[in-house]
Amino acid sequence: MNHRSIRRQIWRKSINSVMLALCGAAALAVVAPLLLILGYVVREGLPAITPQFFTALPTPVGVPGGGVVNALAGSLMTVGLGLVMAAPVGILAGIYAAMHPDNPFGVLIRFGTDVISGVPSIVMGIFAYTLVVLPQRHFSALSGGVVLAFIMLPTLTRTTEEMIRLVPSSLRDGSLALGAPEWKTTIDVLLPAALNGLVTGIMLAVARAAGEAAPMMFTAFGNPFINLDFTQPVETLPHMIFTYAISPYGDWHGKAWATALVLITLILLLNVAARLLVWWRGRRLGLVR
Amino acid sequence: MQPSMGLRTPPVRSDAESVPSATKMQIENLSIFYRDFRAVSNVSLSIGAQRITAIIGPSGCGKSTLLRALNRMNDLVPGSHAEGQIILDGQPLYARNVDVVDVRRRIGMVFQRPNPFPKSIYDNVAYGPRLYGVRSKSNLDELVEKSLRQAALWDEVRDKLHQSGLSLSGGQQQRLCIARALAVEPEVILMDEPASALDPISTLRIEELMHDLVKDYTIIIVTHNMQQAARVSDFTAMMMIDEHRAGRVIEYNATRIIFTNPTDRRTEDYVTGRFG
Repeated sequence: MNHRSIRRQIWRKSINSVMLALCGAAALAVVAPLLLILGYVVREGLPAITPQFFTALPTPVGVPGGGVVNALAGSLMTVGLGLVMAAPVGILAGIYAAMHPDNPFGVLIRFGTDVISGVPSIVMGIFAYTLVVLPQRHFSALSGGVVLAFIMLPTLTRTTEEMIRLVPSSLRDGSLALGAPEWKTTIDVLLPAALNGLVTGIMLAVARAAGEAAPMMFTAFGNPFINLDFTQPVETLPHMIFTYAISPYGDWHGKAWATALVLITLILLLNVAARLLVWWRGRRLGLVR
Repeated sequence: MQPSMGLRTPPVRSDAESVPSATKMQIENLSIFYRDFRAVSNVSLSIGAQRITAIIGPSGCGKSTLLRALNRMNDLVPGSHAEGQIILDGQPLYARNVDVVDVRRRIGMVFQRPNPFPKSIYDNVAYGPRLYGVRSKSNLDELVEKSLRQAALWDEVRDKLHQSGLSLSGGQQQRLCIARALAVEPEVILMDEPASALDPISTLRIEELMHDLVKDYTIIIVTHNMQQAARVSDFTAMMMIDEHRAGRVIEYNATRIIFTNPTDRRTEDYVTGRFG
């Protein structure tokens, strides 16, 4: 090996290690905030978590104990209602956009969802306020559900579209070649094959909606008691965090961290549960080994 | 009929030419366009009933396009349209009042890569019959067994009908897809390079299967594999692209003649392996 080629090799190897180090640093920069946030939330929140935290109503300032059961119920109601309203529309629109990418209506769906996902959630809150709260003349879980439905819609539509497109066209052809109409092919072949992705989309949407505090101020409003009536105001976890966090009381600050921990854990558990369900189904169908 | 043959000696259908056959499909002056581009130009062929007709030719010469026109799968490609006629038992397939679903039911298709649905073996085969309204369990059971037997897969899967179709080997998956096509009781089966993704043993099984099926069905197969065309088919159509890059059938005759005494020089060059 002559002198020049050795030098070139050293140069190449050093470039390689520099690039590798840059990639590693970037990866760390992405993961570090996540771990820091999680770690900090656990550290600050865990001391306030007791079994009672999940079963009791909030207590006034200075009274120890208490919990967030009202916010748990309210979040479940608003997110659930939002999902029930947004999922059918979002998934169907996503299917349409995937099947007719060049059709003007398909283009409109894609453009529309992009615009909606760019609208700040607080503006959505004002929109839902005008749409539901004003005619109803008071705050309600219903209006919270409506605003969360709008927030979930773009995520649901776009992920559904992407996932349906990922299904090999040979499956679609196979069904159509048997004489199946397109709607039947979609329901019986495309959707089951894309289910994994659809669940991912739903989880992303739920996670985003469950963490929204700003639009809740105009809609669900908050409520120190448990309320299961959709026409009445409810408390939600992110709004509760907000209320606790802006208060001047150290006791409430601790509870804000604890509530945040509950919210993060809930979303994590929901994600794991959905993954397990999909994995179990996939194994049954031989989609994964 | 013949006793069942071992894997090593595929039956030879030397008698097929001498036995007269009715015309099942008549292709008349068929041209297929993708927007302005003419992909297939002026094809006329008459396809014999209960015969295997092979379409051969170099890559990109329009074989698959022609095949997919025969059950109107090309309709699904935006901007495609056909001129000319395809007549199945006297009925023009591209006429206005023709129901595409009916065409595809009568003309089944097997694809290049096995494409079982992510469902159980049973549900894969029952998919077609269910589309056409077969609901009763006993009828479905019967149809599923019959189709799987016809596709020579029954003995291998009879104990695991409710396992996923994707759990089978590649060759078994392709036979499952054949069974799925048979279950709607088509008259014609189109095969688009059905063995190109399979190993030699599985390929041979598919070829044997074609020999069995042709007693009841008319088969049209597109293949890249010259030996396969020579082994399985009764008639062969040779396609080439012309100076406008449109696919044309340059020669159509009994397979024996195409492979031993072709008229067109290009056919001879192709089948003897001088190009392609």
